Amino acid sequence: MDVQRYISSGIIESHVAGLVSDSEAREVEAAIQQYPEIKAAADAVRLDMERYVQMWAVKPPAGLKQQLMARLNEVEKEEAEVPVAEDKQEKEEEEPRFVMPQIPVLKIWQYAAVAAGVLLVVSAGMNVVYMGRADALGEKIAKAEEEHVALSAEKSAFADRYQQTQKELDLLKDPAFKWIKMQAVGKHTDIVATICWNPATKEAYIIPQTLPEPPEDKQYQLWAIVNGKPIDAGVFQLGNMAKALQKMKEVTSAQVFAVTLEKKGGSTTPSLDQMFVAGKVAG
Amino acid sequence: MESAFTYTESELVQGLKAKDQKVFGYLYDRYSPALYGVAMKVLNEESNAGDVLQEVFLKIWRNIDRYDESKGRLFTWMLNITRNTAIDTLRSKAHKMDQKIQVIGDDVHLYTTNLTVHPSVDHLGLSKVLEKLTKEQRVIIDLAYYKGCTQEEISKVLEIPLGTVKTRMRNAIIQLRNLLKI
Repeated sequence: MDVQRYISSGIIESHVAGLVSDSEAREVEAAIQQYPEIKAAADAVRLDMERYVQMWAVKPPAGLKQQLMARLNEVEKEEAEVPVAEDKQEKEEEEPRFVMPQIPVLKIWQYAAVAAGVLLVVSAGMNVVYMGRADALGEKIAKAEEEHVALSAEKSAFADRYQQTQKELDLLKDPAFKWIKMQAVGKHTDIVATICWNPATKEAYIIPQTLPEPPEDKQYQLWAIVNGKPIDAGVFQLGNMAKALQKMKEVTSAQVFAVTLEKKGGSTTPSLDQMFVAGKVAG
Repeated sequence: MESAFTYTESELVQGLKAKDQKVFGYLYDRYSPALYGVAMKVLNEESNAGDVLQEVFLKIWRNIDRYDESKGRLFTWMLNITRNTAIDTLRSKAHKMDQKIQVIGDDVHLYTTNLTVHPSVDHLGLSKVLEKLTKEQRVIIDLAYYKGCTQEEISKVLEIPLGTVKTRMRNAIIQLRNLLKI
């Protein structure tokens, strides 16, 4: 701890004046015990307060001391009388206290056996009741746990969705990103996918949007085309990722972006007859 | 009736712990003006201040075993008992309405004149010292120490930010210390 800073924060003065909360007061007391410098500072402040208070000293009314001493004597008398009263009571009780009725030993055993039997029955009954309760509680706990698991799954799903949205929002706000809308080409119509690319950092993302679901054994692949030469920019998924922003391979330069349908895992060269969408990079 | 001889603080504590009424009488003579002054400043009136003072001395008599010398001087301990007892009285039903509201009232100046209890004659020299504290410095000490106000209440009354209450308090006490040195 930075003792000097603590001292100059004013907390010691506030503590001595009774200004701080109970928890803060405990903290200051602990600091006083631990650091001699803080203790010295606190003592000095207490002395200041004492002297300040002394300035306002007023002589109390003359009769007050006598009244006080009278009350003090009363208090002392009361305290002195209490134990005497107790002694008296004990003495009166002393005689009959240890007299026990005479019961034959055999009878005692009989009573004890009956009592033990009754206790056993009561205990067995209690066991049943409590076992039932334990079962019910166990069920409740299991149910609560299940709910908890479901809720945390839901929560992490929401967190993922939120992160995704946040990422998209960040890209939207970043002026360095270029947005390239790819339209349907050739025989395809009404298909749109969008590229979001930062030429400076080479980051590229795709939003598949309305690309149709590919056959089981096929996958879409993105190409960055520079001077008519296609460069692989990676494959991407559809399904529940169709509306999401998917990160692609780094793209150093591109004049046109295009998407073709390739075998699973992607190809080294694009199947140009399978081109679905393409879009020119502006500027 | 006042004792002619004096005790050191540790002799006082020992005597009190041994329930020596002579020591207690000496304690009263020695400290009652200061403690009565505290009660008067907290309560702003004489009738209750006397009751509080009796209460305080009875508490000291009964609770002397709880006093821990390692934690501070006897006088500080007694001051705190007095202050807390008086503030409790101030806050008790009878006083709650009129007094406390007055404390948090907006008019600081009206309220400071209300606080003023005439300092004892012996300390007239020192009371000049007091005049050298700014009004704000006096009020902040009095509100915290004698009225048991919270930081929020002080920030409201003095119209200063909550975050600066502690540093203002420190400045007030530093100023007080400088004045006492002269």
